[in-house]
Order: sequence, then structure tokens, then C-alpha cells
Amino acid sequence: MPPPSSSPTHICLLVKHISSASTMAEPVHPAPTMPFASSSSAPGPAQQSTAENPRQTQTLPIRDSKDANATNSDKAPHKGKDTTASAVGGDGAGDKALSPAELKKKAKAEKTARRAKEKLEREGPAPAVGGAPAAGAGGSQARPSATSKKDGAPGGSQKGQRAPPPRRGSVAAAQHGAAEQQKKRKEDKSVAVFGHLYGQQRRTTIAGAGKEVHPAVLALGLQMRDYVVCGSSARCVATLLAFKRVVESYTTPLGTSLSRHLTAHLSHQITYLSTCRPLSISQGNAIRALKLTIASIDPSTPETSAKATLCDFIDSFIREKITIADKVIADSAAQKISDGDVIVTFAGSSIVKETLLEAHRQGKRFRVSIIDSRPLFEGKNMARALANAGLDVQYSLVHAVSHAIKDATKVFLGAHAMTSNGRLYSRVGTALVAMSAKERAGGVEVPVIVCCETVKFTDRVALDSIVVNEIADADELVSPSPPQQVTDLPDPAAAAATAQSDSNKKGAHRAPSNPSADTPASSSDDSPLTKWKDTPNLQLLNIMYDVTPAEYVDMVVTEMGSLPPSAVPIVHRMSTNM
Amino acid sequence: MPSTSLALTPGLASFLKSLKTNPIDTSIENLISLLKRRQIRHSRSCATATAYLLLRVISACRTSDPVKLIERVQSVGRRLVAAQAREMVVGNIVRRVLGLIRDEAEDDRDAEFALSEAGSESQPQTPRALDDTSFPLDRDSPSMRPDGDRSSSRPPLTSMFSLLSHPEPEASLPSTPGSASPGGRGPGQGSKDVRAEVLEGINEIIDELGQVDDQIAAYALDHIHSNEIILTHTSSTTVQKFLLKAAAKRKFTVIHAESFPNNHEATHATVSGTASSEDELMSVESFQKPLIALGITVILIPDSAVFALMSRVNKVILGTHSVLANGGLIAAAGTRVIARAAKVHQTPVVVVSGVYKLSPVYPFDFDSLIEYGDASKVLSYEDGDLVDKIEVQNPLYDYVPAELVDLYITNLGGHAPSYLYRIVSDHYRMEDISF
Repeated sequence: MPPPSSSPTHICLLVKHISSASTMAEPVHPAPTMPFASSSSAPGPAQQSTAENPRQTQTLPIRDSKDANATNSDKAPHKGKDTTASAVGGDGAGDKALSPAELKKKAKAEKTARRAKEKLEREGPAPAVGGAPAAGAGGSQARPSATSKKDGAPGGSQKGQRAPPPRRGSVAAAQHGAAEQQKKRKEDKSVAVFGHLYGQQRRTTIAGAGKEVHPAVLALGLQMRDYVVCGSSARCVATLLAFKRVVESYTTPLGTSLSRHLTAHLSHQITYLSTCRPLSISQGNAIRALKLTIASIDPSTPETSAKATLCDFIDSFIREKITIADKVIADSAAQKISDGDVIVTFAGSSIVKETLLEAHRQGKRFRVSIIDSRPLFEGKNMARALANAGLDVQYSLVHAVSHAIKDATKVFLGAHAMTSNGRLYSRVGTALVAMSAKERAGGVEVPVIVCCETVKFTDRVALDSIVVNEIADADELVSPSPPQQVTDLPDPAAAAATAQSDSNKKGAHRAPSNPSADTPASSSDDSPLTKWKDTPNLQLLNIMYDVTPAEYVDMVVTEMGSLPPSAVPIVHRMSTNM
Repeated sequence: MPSTSLALTPGLASFLKSLKTNPIDTSIENLISLLKRRQIRHSRSCATATAYLLLRVISACRTSDPVKLIERVQSVGRRLVAAQAREMVVGNIVRRVLGLIRDEAEDDRDAEFALSEAGSESQPQTPRALDDTSFPLDRDSPSMRPDGDRSSSRPPLTSMFSLLSHPEPEASLPSTPGSASPGGRGPGQGSKDVRAEVLEGINEIIDELGQVDDQIAAYALDHIHSNEIILTHTSSTTVQKFLLKAAAKRKFTVIHAESFPNNHEATHATVSGTASSEDELMSVESFQKPLIALGITVILIPDSAVFALMSRVNKVILGTHSVLANGGLIAAAGTRVIARAAKVHQTPVVVVSGVYKLSPVYPFDFDSLIEYGDASKVLSYEDGDLVDKIEVQNPLYDYVPAELVDLYITNLGGHAPSYLYRIVSDHYRMEDISF
């Protein structure tokens, strides 16, 4: 049934997202242009990067470890250096022809030099400790300084001599030390079993994004990274809407056809998005469908009509696969709720929220217990929405699962994806809730119902939560220390506040041995984790998803009906073949 | 900084300080209010405070009559337990002290019976200070005593059925006047010994409280092998010491769940090794290096990631708040779901706990044991608009049933959960279980 009431609101909301995205992009824009400028105008970068957020320096280690190797390899071909040096000198004179081997060496040396230079620029703040003028000079004459390093001590070329020797030493030492230190840090901080998931750090700015990337996509990427657009379906819809704008503003270059070039053009956008945050399964499915449609467009179709076809396709995809699917799922899942139920749910799933609101609209009387977790606290928004709608809401965190599940009658869960072996891939902690529902003390199992659009079905399989997962920035675990800090009270006031509410609050489990004595001290301090990156052997792990075994899931409610989890691969095949 | 906060904030340290100067009734009131206001928390702090208070109470008692001593300790104990019924260690310590007095009284009487042939000093050498690990405890108590009059004075404690059946305390009391009657005959040195012996026994309990973590840690190498991945939860000193002991010899990895709203700050401090100031206050507690300083990789995770990681964990080591006679335990909230996840993954769950946490109480209503904490830790003030509309729950404890625990390690060694009733019966006397 076509629900004209619900679909526009949904899309409106997302359109608002996109429009706010473009407005958001504006303040972001100027920043990234600076690094661009910095590579050309030299003295800028040192100050610029010191002024920039410290995150920038956090991203260093990965590259630096590479660079450390580079400097090592820099030393290794020392023998060849004299020849290279003379070659460089000779180049200027233009008298000698170089053998291919020498050419290769030269190219290699130049490459290392270039790397060293890039590093130097990036590392602006680090050598600045050693000597600010040196760093400035290094920035301004990065190229020559690097060459000087390449040249080795004797017989430096003219360029090399222009760079004063002491600077070379200090810079190199500083670089080396910093690189070594940061390499060590970097090695420490990725949890061993999850090593394969620490591919690249999430993009922190839109600097370096290709010029092909559409502004709407640029903004969306940042929003997804910051969890402004969060949740599998929301990300999917937002991506499709952004791609719609990409398609709208697209003109086929001369000499290519739309069906060929647009796919390549889109893949720039997709690459950018995936550097902001790994793509969700639903995004992947939507993109695949879109690419299929693009490929199926007849090259002879005029551009305007092709674009209109694509926009129509995107709209109908959103409508069919998500908007209406959500409505259908909410309707059929709401039927599973009866009067007097106690529904437990985990974190914030938009579709579970819709289901509960729908059931409430139907006049059913039930209680909702929302379990939430750090660091995203997605359940808070859901609790707010449900409470505002007048539902009876109970809110607790994941430590209280076994209490919340005690009087539960049904568990509703959202999904990030359903794998082909029937397992539920969802926000980390979901498995704990499902397990608690199935392994209750009394032996009475609580039905676990998953609400999931078929667009989230995937043909991938998963056995555990380690092979396939997403690692979020571990710093998210550090920040929100006690509520005192969030409300931004000055410390004495915070201490007074704690003192006032002492009977409950004071030192509740604050310290292992003697809790109460420490309260003011610890509240004035930052979280002890703020320096975790400098603490050897300490690692923080912030994974995003976990895999719930199929036996914990009783039913998957989709827009195609309510299924057992074993039906996922069949439905997935059906829906992709259509 | 610590010294000022020490002076300002009431807690164990300030209580112990004031104990020496304040009159005894003030101290009792003081401890009761500290317990009520939750300014003394954690099992060991409560146990230490109780033991020191009872030491004062007994030494302040003018009488040496065991019956009077028992009555006095009972009345103080009842008030303390009423002040904070969920801190079960308070009751445990009171029971231990009561048991001490009864034992001394009985030994005294035995000594008088045996006075004619044997020296009276030989019998009081075996007080029921079973905390002392130098004795092989289980065999010690029955064998060292003459059995003949034992059966008359109290029921045998070897059966679990008798453990669970709540004996009326009044039924056993008539036996105590019986034991006191010799004291009435010879009120001189015999009963004076009782008080001194009891004080000595309490001091032994206090010593035990100080050493218990190290004693437990001594078993660490029996349970942790190289390259193991161990998961733990909250910042339990016992667990930390256990792991530290193993870390001195072996390399392993620790995954530490942070127990978010209630204890995450302490956990963060523990893993990052910045837990300092509060430990200086504790005289018994000279805190050691953090695990990371010994080259142990510590991975801090949010509680929600426990299930995801459990498939790689070799062992779960948990601290506890108190242990119940049925083998279940009351521990920080979140423990149960961790233990359950471990069970699902066939990962062994080891609970480390001092014997003093072992409570003879068999609760039939587990909910009554759960304490609820500050809801603002779950939902902070910035979400004030929500607070009126929704119900926020922050339980502090979980009840973990015995079947989820594979092994208990106490200062007496490792035990199966099903064996705990026997340790209970070694440590507490029937007549004191509901004093």
C-alpha cells in the first residue's frame, strides 16, 4: 500500500540532512584548501599544521613507519650516492649520459627525497621542537634539504651545499627520533586479533579528496564519519540522495558515453565515502543496484533522459526498498506486540522505533526497555522519541542487561545486516542482549525478533565478530568523562555538586579500595585514558558490530514477510534477481 | 591533595583514625552512618572497618563473660547489618567474631574438664581462626578437638541440609550458658583468657583481610599459562594482584571490560596505571605497578564488546562483591552477562575472592540482594528533559548463578562452586548464621 504520509517525511528528513550537509560543508571548505596551498607555498605548512587540530598528528604514525623504512633504505644505497650526487651535479652541467642503472638509482633517490620532503612538511610541528628556524627553513627549501640528505657528506652538488649541513643533521635526527617513537606507538595501538581491520584511519578532513567528488558527497562523508548520519538505512538513503545530486549535476564529457563514464565518476564518490567510514552492507547493495542500472542504460539515450531515468530509479529504490519497506515491516512487527508486553530493544534502530510507535498508535499498551551502550548512546534518541510519543520507557545500559531481560516478553532488534548463514550483524552488544534473552535463568526463552529490510541482506557469511567488523576511533571511548564535565561546571562547583548528592553518588564504586576519599581529585582530573596513546602496552578497542548466532534469532521481519534466519540467503537471491 | 581530601571526606581511613580516640558508642554510630551513606563501600573496606570496630567493642567490654560478649557483639552486629544489609561481609565478620567467642568459651570449658590431666594451655591453642592458611584447615577442626562433648553443645556441621535449614538462634543459646556456667564457677583467669583470645582472633582476621589478596595471588601461576588471553571486568584489586603475580613470570594478554557507568573511572585508572592517590590512604594496600608496566598487553573494551571478543578469550577471571553459600555470587553489574557469554563460548570462568566474602546466607529472593545506584550515571543532567519521562535503571550488582562459574579461587585454594558450602560450614557456626 502506498503510504503518502510516511514516505515524504522520511525523505524530507533526509533531504534536510543533505541540505544541511551542503551548509555544513562551507565552514569545512576553507580548511582543506590550506593544505593544498601549503604544498606550494612553503613556510605556511609548519605553522599551519601546528595550528591545526592535534588529530592531524595522530594520523602520522602510519605513514611515518613507512618513512622510517625510507630513511633506512636511504642509508643502504650509500655507495651509489656519490654517483648519484655526481649525476645530479652532472645533470646540471648536462655533460654525461647516464646508464639505465644509474637512472634507476637516481629515480629512486629522488623518490626517497620526495618522501622525505613530504614527511618534513607533514611533520612541521615535530622538528619545531628542535629549532623553529630550522623547521621553517626546511619547509621553505624542503626540496634542497632533502637532496642534501641524499647527497651524503662529500662532494655534494650545488643544491646540497646551499642547504647548510647542521640543519640537515638536526632535522634528520629529529625526524628519525620522532619517526621511531611514533612507529613504536603505532605498533602498540592496534589490537592484534583485529590487525586486519585497521586498514586506514578514517578521514579527518576533506583535504585530499579528489576534485571529482561532489560537495554533497563531501559533506555526507563527514556526516557519516561523525555519526550525524548513522544507521544502515539512513546511510543508504543519504548516499542515494547524494548520488542523485551527483547524477543531476553530471554532464558526460566528450568522447565517452554516460553509462561508461558515470560509473567511473561514481566510483570516485564511493571511494571517498568509504574513506570516511567503511560502507554499510545496505550502501553496498544500493550502489550495486545503481551501477547495474547505469550499465544497462543504452548509450544512445540522450543524456537528459538517461539522467531522469537514473533519478527515477534512485527515488523508486529508496521508496521501495526502504521507505515503504520500513512501513510494511513496522506494520507487521507491530502485530507481534500485544497488550502487557515488555519489549526489550538494544541501541537505536530506526525501524524498531517505527514498529514501537506504530504499535502504540494502534492503542496497544506495553512497556519498552531500551538498553544502550557506550560510546554512541544511540538508544537515547530512541528513548526520547518514544517517551515523547507517550510510551512507557525504561532506559538502562548494557551492564544491566540481565536485569532488563528478567521481565521481558519480547526482544526487538535492529540489524546492520543479515548474513547468508542467518547470523545477525548489528551494533556491538546486540549479541549480548539476544543471548540474555535466550539463556535466561528461569529457562523461559524470550522470542527475539529482528526487523530488517531485505536491502540489508548480504551474501557474505560470518562466523565470529572478528573477521568482519569495523573499527571505530578508539578515542571515542576516552572523551566523555563524568557528567560534571559535560555540563561544563567549573571544578569546585562540580565537587560541591557531588558533595551534595553524596549519599548515592559519592564515590559509587569510584575507586577500588577507598572510594570516597578520592572524589574531588578524580573529578578535577581528566580521564586517565587521555594519554593512552603514550602509554605502552595499553590498547583501546572500539569495534562497531558483533555477530549474533542464528540460533538466538527466532524471526526476521522483512518487507517480504516474517522469516526464520535460515531463509536469508533465499530471500537475498530473490531480491537481487528481481 | 590526598591528605586534605582524607581529612574532609569520611571513609574508611577517617573512620579508622577516629576509632582510637572516639568513645565506642560514637564509633558504632559513626560506622553505621558511614555504611548507610555508602561512604564505606567495597567488601574489604567494610570488612576491615567492622573488624576494627569489633576489636574496639570487645576490648572496651568490661565483662569477660562469653555470654555477655556474645550478646554485645550480636547487638552491634545487628545494627551494622541493618545499616547496610547488602554489604554481606559485615555480617560475615560479625559471625566470625561470634564464632571466635563461642569457640573460646567452649575451649575454656573443655580446658576445665581436662584440667585435671592436661595443661589448660594446650586446648586454647586451637582457636577457630581458620583463616590461617598454615593449617590444613578442613581436617584441623574436627580432629584436634575432643568429639564427645562437641555433639552435645552444637549440631554437627557436616551436612548441607543442616546448613540450609535455618536454625533458631534461641535453640543454641541455652548451650552457651551451659558453657558459661564453669566461668561462673571460676570467674578468674579462665574467662579473662577468653577475651584476650578473642582479641587475638580478631587481629588474625584483620591480618587475613590484609593478606588475602596476596594469598590468592599465590595461586596465579597454577591457573594462567603463557600467551593466554584473559578477560576481566571492573577494577578489582584481587584480580589485579592475581594477574600481576602471573605477569611476573608469564606473558599474556588481558582484555579489560570497563563496566561503564559505575566503575569505569577506576577501571580506566587501573589499566592506565594512574590509580594512585586513593591507594596511599589504605595502609594495608601498597598498590603495585599496573599490568602494562610488566609488559602485559591490556586491551580496554566497552562492556558491549564482550560477546564479540569472547571467542578469542581463554579464561575469564572475575572479582566479586560477595559469594553465597550455594556457589552463586553477587558481583558488579555486567558480570552475569559476561559469565553467560563465557559459558556460551565454553570459556572457563574463574572467580577470585577472599574467604571473608563467603557468606552463609542463602538468599531465596535474589532481587533483594541487588542494589541500585545513581541513575544520573546512566543518563546525565544534560538529558534532563528525558529524566521526567523515562525510567532509568542503574543496578550496581548482578547475581551470577553457580552454574556459570567453573572455579573459585580463595585464599584457601581452588574450589568447585559446589564445595563452597563446606568452607562456609568451616568458617561460621550454625547458631550464628542468623544472629
